[in-house]
Amino acid sequence: MLRLWFDKGTLLLKGEVGTPYGKWDPRTESYRIKSSHYKDVLDYLGESNLQFEDAVPKLPPLEQLKSNVELRNYQTEALNSWQRAGNRGVLVLPTAAGKTFIALKAIEILKTQTLIIVPTLDLIDQWRKRIRECLNIEAGAIGGGENTQRMVTVSTYDSAYLQAAQLGNRFMFLVFDEVHHLASPGYMQIGEMYIAPNRMGLTATYERSDERHSLLPQLIGGPVYFIGIKELAGKHLSPYTYEKLLVELTPEEQQIYGAEMGFFKNYLQEKKIILRSPADFQKFIMTTGKDKRARQALLARNHAVKVALNSESKLHLLAEKLEDFKNERVLIFTLHNELVYTISRRFLIPAVTYQTPRDERREILANFGNGTYKAIVTSQVLDEGVDVPEASVGIVLSGTGSTREYVQRLGRLLRKVEGKTAKIVEIISKETIEVAISHRRRPKTPKTTEAP
Amino acid sequence: MLPSELLAVWKRKGEIMPRYAKLSNENLEVANALIDAYKEHIGEKKKALKILATDLEDKGHEYRFIRALALLLNRRSIFISDSKVNPSDLRKKIFHTTEKIGIPTTKDQRQRILENVASEMALTSETVEKYMYADLDAELILEKLAPLSASELLEEYNLSLTQTLLFDSTELSFTTSGNWQRIFFSIKRLGLIYEVYQDNGICVRINGPASLFKLTKRYGIQTAKLLPIILANPKWTISAKILWKYTNEICNFKIESQKHSSLLKKPNTPTLKYDSTAEEKFASQFQALNSGWILKREPEPILAGKQVIIPDFSLEKSGIKVYLEIMGFWTETYLTRKIEKLKQIDEKMLLIVNEALACEKLAALKNKTQLNLIFYHNNIPLASILHYLQAAFNDLKTKEIELLKDLQIKFTEPIIAYDEFAARIGISTEAVKAVLATNPPSGYVAMNNNLVSTEKLMQINEKIEERMQKRGKLLLPEATKIVEAEGANDTSNILSALKYKITWRGINSEQAEISKTGK
Repeated sequence: MLRLWFDKGTLLLKGEVGTPYGKWDPRTESYRIKSSHYKDVLDYLGESNLQFEDAVPKLPPLEQLKSNVELRNYQTEALNSWQRAGNRGVLVLPTAAGKTFIALKAIEILKTQTLIIVPTLDLIDQWRKRIRECLNIEAGAIGGGENTQRMVTVSTYDSAYLQAAQLGNRFMFLVFDEVHHLASPGYMQIGEMYIAPNRMGLTATYERSDERHSLLPQLIGGPVYFIGIKELAGKHLSPYTYEKLLVELTPEEQQIYGAEMGFFKNYLQEKKIILRSPADFQKFIMTTGKDKRARQALLARNHAVKVALNSESKLHLLAEKLEDFKNERVLIFTLHNELVYTISRRFLIPAVTYQTPRDERREILANFGNGTYKAIVTSQVLDEGVDVPEASVGIVLSGTGSTREYVQRLGRLLRKVEGKTAKIVEIISKETIEVAISHRRRPKTPKTTEAP
Repeated sequence: MLPSELLAVWKRKGEIMPRYAKLSNENLEVANALIDAYKEHIGEKKKALKILATDLEDKGHEYRFIRALALLLNRRSIFISDSKVNPSDLRKKIFHTTEKIGIPTTKDQRQRILENVASEMALTSETVEKYMYADLDAELILEKLAPLSASELLEEYNLSLTQTLLFDSTELSFTTSGNWQRIFFSIKRLGLIYEVYQDNGICVRINGPASLFKLTKRYGIQTAKLLPIILANPKWTISAKILWKYTNEICNFKIESQKHSSLLKKPNTPTLKYDSTAEEKFASQFQALNSGWILKREPEPILAGKQVIIPDFSLEKSGIKVYLEIMGFWTETYLTRKIEKLKQIDEKMLLIVNEALACEKLAALKNKTQLNLIFYHNNIPLASILHYLQAAFNDLKTKEIELLKDLQIKFTEPIIAYDEFAARIGISTEAVKAVLATNPPSGYVAMNNNLVSTEKLMQINEKIEERMQKRGKLLLPEATKIVEAEGANDTSNILSALKYKITWRGINSEQAEISKTGK
């Protein structure tokens, strides 16, 4: 008889017939099929009236859910569009629009073994908490040293990828939180190595600057619902104001900046190198491995950028702003860990980076939430979807040129609090490439926005 | 293994090669300088080590090389925090004090907070500042460096470089000289798939399940983990396809033990352990028999369809090889798989099966002529095994004799050694001897271990006669010299073929005298 089973992240079919989805594997003398075609193969064999043994799924036991999830109108709309698309597709909603609840509702409806895939360990904790509160069950966790598989399990992208060969046949529903991560070359294979026919992607920013989001539809389905920050602001999210402040480098900094940037530009001119896109820049970096002068030029540029990012003038202005916002809850962002610690040491306020011990980080965020700490400074690690207790002021001290980051940082501040106007302040060094980065970052919104 | 930005390669016309650090004086000096500097920096902060590496880079050494060496040294080092208080607790205290007093925006305000904390914890404000982030990676103190030499560091660098390159591999092929059981066990454990083919020995190609659908680097990490196990052997050739991400082209990578072995760190291989005491006992008992059969542990794998079997032993004599597998204990699935494989082999195999565990499944193997089952109860039956070996040997000899008899061989050389001739045409010496010695071709006389032409015999005879005429008599040692000078051996047989007799005086051959028997 035909036998279908799961083999290290793929399916194997042994017997007299193949399927249109498989490929003959001479190494094992059987048909090998991508796990993502599991349902297609079942349909094909079923419709052909073939007797076969399906030894593929090895699912954790089902548990009784007691759900208390109530959806808002737009959340229900989002869920309906996903169901109409055959339980597949991506929902694009701004941060704090309650994406988690839509996914939990879907689990309640499907009542099937579900793997939720998230970018960070913090998000594992957060999802588990929500599952406990909303579905009344304990969720399993994979990643960060834990490995428990239950009806609903939360995993990091890393673990879901690295253990695909062991986990691929254990779930029938996949939820991808911050789904834009799935489009990276490695993680993409999660989409191929799991059998789950039901798939949901969640994100605030569908587009990636490298255009790879165009690969998502084949893995989980295309975007099926979209709602922007403007539609929700005021009604479900808090209004905000945005202010950009330019500071001049100190004379000493200007001198260093000028000299280093000059050296870099001279080198480019001399070698007739034009850097237009990130790809051009990547190519240039490649050459620095072979060419010592190219490397010197790159180091000079990096030094100049660092001087601008860490400018003393910015810290002065930051001190002023902290004085202004004395009674507000302030979240300070900067991309560079070094600057995070400079600020933490200077103003004696808590810092959160990838180096912060997990317990300490939990404690800091909790204290920021209950108002014990009025200001914290952080680098990228809070960027994605971590529930940071609502802040009323965000100060951005440096940034990169990607749209996604900006929207999510913004979203962090916009948790719904009655009658609150959030403020976003960006501090940039004048006359440096930072201004260019800042422009690139906000192509779709006007320079200074007052939300309704 | 290194971060990919430290991977330095040469790439030319589709070939790719890591920039191995030769064990040259210059490189050894750099490695030594770095090791010494680490030793001198014991008790200092990790960030000081970083500055140290940067200095070497500024002196013109390749930055990736220096950084990789520093990274490898960091991994062999122990770093500790020197703080007298728990920095995490200290910070908590500072942040809470800040909240009470207010975020400091002037130097004085800041100093006030630090002093507040200091007095509360019985420290000075300077130590509060110093220990605030003493647990950050860059602030840790170098306590100890596990000793290693400059050449060991370079060898480790080269190995890491190779493994880092293999992260980007889509497949790997190798041949090697041993360690097979561990290699195949690891391939399986790492979730890889192998294919084997014969090409002057066993070649193995490795990739993973999903490699069937597209070129993928997914199995690169696992492949890199397999590398040291292959390198542990004295002989190997390794080649791989590398998907070079910067240009998106497939490049070939190849290293071989002859050229590269001295550059790469060789992992320690644990000595071969026997799977069971039955095997161990058998090996020692068999060797004690001095049967003329050469016993080898864990021989080269043999093909079983698309898979391989690594038999427990091979037994070899005069070019005939029999494999031997001891089946003491098994599980149902193990047995099913094993039988499936055994059905497909082409080599002669002796299966020594524990009687207590025999079952009807084994019946599937009974009709396979290459296989021979011997059952045992308590002890492995050496006699039955020898009996089988002897039979196999005789069987082969008979066939060879038939073959030789049919051959019309024309010899031209004056002397033909049986063993050399046997090796030349690939049959056993015994078979050659059996045919040629009993029925020598015309113009030749058969000796103990070779054929000598009558022409050659005449030449020897002339020399002996010449000498006898000169001296009157001839002693055995002199006769032997003459025979050997002519390229022959086996003096006594040659002498008797030439109708000489040897008169012994006592047992001393020096005194034995040669004389012609009746005319």
